[in-house]
Amino acid sequence: MTEALPEPGGVINSLSASLEYHDQGKTVFACQDISLEVHPNEFLGILGPSGSGKSSLLYLLSGLKKPSHGDVLFEGSSLKRLSDDDRSRLRLREFGFVFQQPYLLGYLSAFENVRIASTSSHGDRHAFELLDRLGMGQKTHRRPHELSGGERQRVCVARALIGRPKVIFADEPTASLDHKNGIAVVSLLNRHREGGALIMVTHDESMLAEADRIVHLRDGRLV
Amino acid sequence: MAIKETAEEEAVVSTRRTVRPRTRIWPLSALVYLYRNAGKSIPLVMVIMLAVLLETGVIALIDSIPFSIRMTYQYTQEMLGVSPRGDPTGTDRLLRDIQAHSPVPLERVMHCRVSNAQVESIVGHWPFVVLGLGQDDMRYYLRRLHTTQIEGRLPAPGAAEAIISEPVAKNLKLHIYDPSEPHKLREQSILLGPDKTDDYSPMPVKVVGIADTDQWLMINSIEYQRSNHFPPVDLGLVFAKNLKDQDKLGHWAEKHFQGKKALIFAHYMLEKQTKEMFNTLFSILDVVIFTLALVITFMMGMLMNIYQSQRLVEFGLLQAIGYTRSQMLWKVFAETAIVIFLGWMLGVAVAQGLLMVADRVLMQPHAFALQSFDQRAFNYALPLPVAILTVAAITVWWRFRRFDPVAIVERRLV
Repeated sequence: MTEALPEPGGVINSLSASLEYHDQGKTVFACQDISLEVHPNEFLGILGPSGSGKSSLLYLLSGLKKPSHGDVLFEGSSLKRLSDDDRSRLRLREFGFVFQQPYLLGYLSAFENVRIASTSSHGDRHAFELLDRLGMGQKTHRRPHELSGGERQRVCVARALIGRPKVIFADEPTASLDHKNGIAVVSLLNRHREGGALIMVTHDESMLAEADRIVHLRDGRLV
Repeated sequence: MAIKETAEEEAVVSTRRTVRPRTRIWPLSALVYLYRNAGKSIPLVMVIMLAVLLETGVIALIDSIPFSIRMTYQYTQEMLGVSPRGDPTGTDRLLRDIQAHSPVPLERVMHCRVSNAQVESIVGHWPFVVLGLGQDDMRYYLRRLHTTQIEGRLPAPGAAEAIISEPVAKNLKLHIYDPSEPHKLREQSILLGPDKTDDYSPMPVKVVGIADTDQWLMINSIEYQRSNHFPPVDLGLVFAKNLKDQDKLGHWAEKHFQGKKALIFAHYMLEKQTKEMFNTLFSILDVVIFTLALVITFMMGMLMNIYQSQRLVEFGLLQAIGYTRSQMLWKVFAETAIVIFLGWMLGVAVAQGLLMVADRVLMQPHAFALQSFDQRAFNYALPLPVAILTVAAITVWWRFRRFDPVAIVERRLV
């Protein structure tokens, strides 16, 4: 006898998902029993102190990590059941990412760094338009080492947005920026997400001023 | 090159408006990476090029020794030599025996007397025969050895004179005797002489003719040999009507005269002896080259691994944003294959060029033989790129097997 899964309403659904790892023979939970629904077009802030498991939760929700227990669904389909390659393909097609550090490929221009995250035939036009909208239109040809930290993070934002993702995952995207630049980057992400949900983790509540909803995480659990 | 036309070069910033960039080559293609990181990829190409150059050069130079033997004594293809043992008068008897029993039609037999001289080789002096022939035999022999024309003339009967071929003239730096030349220059036209230990003759034997042929030959008159060289060494030369029968004649003669008082000189025996002589050397060489290839392969495999390790952030980022492991493996494999292929091609081209220069500058002036395109040498270099690519692919695959992009984006590995 099989039990039917509850019909999920969110774009991302976490069903009692846990992520454990083993440290010197002991089982440690990075996230434990997380049940969370993320709605389309929602800006969800995940707030918590350093070491509370925010990034781990983000990796679970985005399919970068498989839950040890429970499951994570994207539009009703289990991420856990997908192979590594299928999850990678899903990330490229449906998700966008902004990481703590503005990681860019040093040998590619700003434009090319954005372009690689889109498989669309209109990728060139879209990449340029995004960079232009993010105030980088004059610097599309520059290599990462010719850009400031704030500019690099804008390029990362453009890269996250280019595939018109259904969900954007932002892992403390303001960590390497000053407060003013941090606010600007969050604002850009929020303004240009074109209907995609935005899930952002941070320890700085002031960065979540535009969030629709904020959940708190402590010691790997939602509180 | 089309890579120049990627977005970076196309994005021309004007004071008024930015030109829209376009991608003509996918930014993640192997060529873009290698071109934009030329500072890293060129040294790798150079290392592979030097390895291929070293391996190919060593093999080609060693191969030049048996090749030189074959070139110097190539004339033996044209004849069978037979010499009596213990009975210097037995040459005519042996020749009559051959004429009576030869399994192939014969064109000519000749009785000659011989003495020894030496030629230069890349590994020192090699013995060479000076044939003492009658005038008719001399003309036949030169024709048989593909002489197109003669500079100078044939040695006169009984005179201390000789005719040599162009390769011999080059090798021993000899020219035609000219009595009007100063003494020092005239010395360079003496083939044999009383003061030449290895090329002895009681009288100075002057070069009076140079035959235009690729074959190596030294001929003087049989009368001079009979009057001046002791003990007598007589040799019968037997020429088959068809050159293709010469080998059959040689095999037959060896069998026919086995256990009899005769010494046989046939081309196939020279081939056999050369092969046997170099078998051991080439076996040692095989081990040396294999070890060298192994060392180079592991060294290059490790270099490739280090080279790829420096790009963990790139791979982590790409996997995190959605590129699959197999896509990245393929990218690395393509980059490595291009580097190795370029290195190998360059190595082969540079080796070919240097060997051609060595042949022209060092070998040809002495008539030493070197194959600038030595198939065997290039065959030896073929497994090198395959082995390097295999080792590099396996090490990178091993690294990617448990690669976790989260470790990169969380900065645990950088």
